[in-house]
Amino acid sequence: MILLILLSSFARAEWRFEGQTGVVYNSNLSNSDRSADVRDDWAWNSDIRAGNALQLTRDLRLNFGADLRGQLWDRFDAFNTIGPGASAGLRYRFGLGRQAPWVLLENRFGYDWFQDTPQGGCDNVLNFQAGIALSDRIALEGGYAFESFLAPNDFYDRQLHRANANIVFDVTSSLQVTAGYIYREGDVISYAVPPRPDIARFSIEREDQDQFGQPLRTAYKLLGRTHTLSFSVAYQLMKYASVQLGYEYAVTTHDPLQYENHVVEANIAVAY
Amino acid sequence: MRPSRGFVLVTVLVFAGDLLAGSLEVIVKDDKGRPCSDAVAYAAAGAASTAPKKQAVVDQRDKQFIPYMTAVQVGTGVIFPNSDNIRHHVYSFSPAKKFELPLYSGVPAQPVVFDKAGFITLGCNIHDWMIAYIAVLPTPYFQVTRGDGRAVLKDLPAGQYTVQVWHPALKGQPEALSQGVDVGGGTKSLQFTLPLKHDVRAKRAPGLTTGGYR
Repeated sequence: MILLILLSSFARAEWRFEGQTGVVYNSNLSNSDRSADVRDDWAWNSDIRAGNALQLTRDLRLNFGADLRGQLWDRFDAFNTIGPGASAGLRYRFGLGRQAPWVLLENRFGYDWFQDTPQGGCDNVLNFQAGIALSDRIALEGGYAFESFLAPNDFYDRQLHRANANIVFDVTSSLQVTAGYIYREGDVISYAVPPRPDIARFSIEREDQDQFGQPLRTAYKLLGRTHTLSFSVAYQLMKYASVQLGYEYAVTTHDPLQYENHVVEANIAVAY
Repeated sequence: MRPSRGFVLVTVLVFAGDLLAGSLEVIVKDDKGRPCSDAVAYAAAGAASTAPKKQAVVDQRDKQFIPYMTAVQVGTGVIFPNSDNIRHHVYSFSPAKKFELPLYSGVPAQPVVFDKAGFITLGCNIHDWMIAYIAVLPTPYFQVTRGDGRAVLKDLPAGQYTVQVWHPALKGQPEALSQGVDVGGGTKSLQFTLPLKHDVRAKRAPGLTTGGYR
């Protein structure tokens, strides 16, 4: 009986296809604190996803899907990556309509292949988000996520806690603006030309690496805290497509180490 | 046999009424002077005697309500067929008619009867960008403006009418902009300039956050 209900729901389920492509610029790909060590780069970013939304009850929806993500860096191709993933999530809305408060619990599991093989591994993100509309134009969203990355080379194993809050403002029917704050706490990898006894003193692990060419750098794994301010704009080009611009300013600290990242992103996103 | 005087008088009055039936052209512009489509122009002259149309249709096609704006007389039944091959969940929170058609495919067996005058906002609980409006009016004389901002109200019996215009983005109440007009034979023309709010319909294209469709 349950199987029949599931099969019948599946037959009426709604497929959704999404894609996004664009460029991203990172002012400090090497996560370095000294300006001489800082290496910036830009990448071509792409992401495709096929997902399904099963409305289980009036308020509860099951989302699941598969995706493929890729990134091609201009200079530092050791960071080129491609990875498939799968996700599933439950969204509950406390009432009818788009202004009703909602909560979402989802998990994405994926594998990332890096051009520089030792960096590759499995990543898993458990994400809890909630949102509420303050009016028909303004909404607040926020949540918590736990990210973990497991690599054959233990040095690249990372765990991260993330909390975020966004305000979303629909300026017009075509223009949406979002401002947000993200707090991250967990493992980060910072690259520096040795010797850096000041960092070595509190790093969890370190390895000599050649991802940034000569002179060779040491990668330090640290427990860092990152505060990020973000601002993004989406403009609807047509019924199924929008152009999206984003900027993030992040400061990561582990006293006495401190480094900054400016990340700028421009994408075309489609959904059908 | 000669017809009675009374019969002659009634016949003359009926024909005179028909001869004097007129039309009203309503031109609607926004406050920047642009033609305003999807506005409802309606004319009322006391209590309406005409029975409402039995049924109107608001379709759901390609995850959109069609039409975006519907006008009906009080007492009209509206049917909401789902022409998509997925399910929709139609609802309204509007005080003039609160209702819900939970997840369904095909054509609902019963129409929803709109028995109170007012302006209804329709939504779909699955597809947040789906939105449409129904103006439920206490008169049989109404028309939705086209892309050129014009609406023509035809076959109005001669008399004095109060004409009003409503639009989903109208700032304030339609009564504030009402105009009186005497309708006789021929066509009269009225112009309305509507102060409108920003149009902030939900987007179908991908947005920036995890809300909405996800």
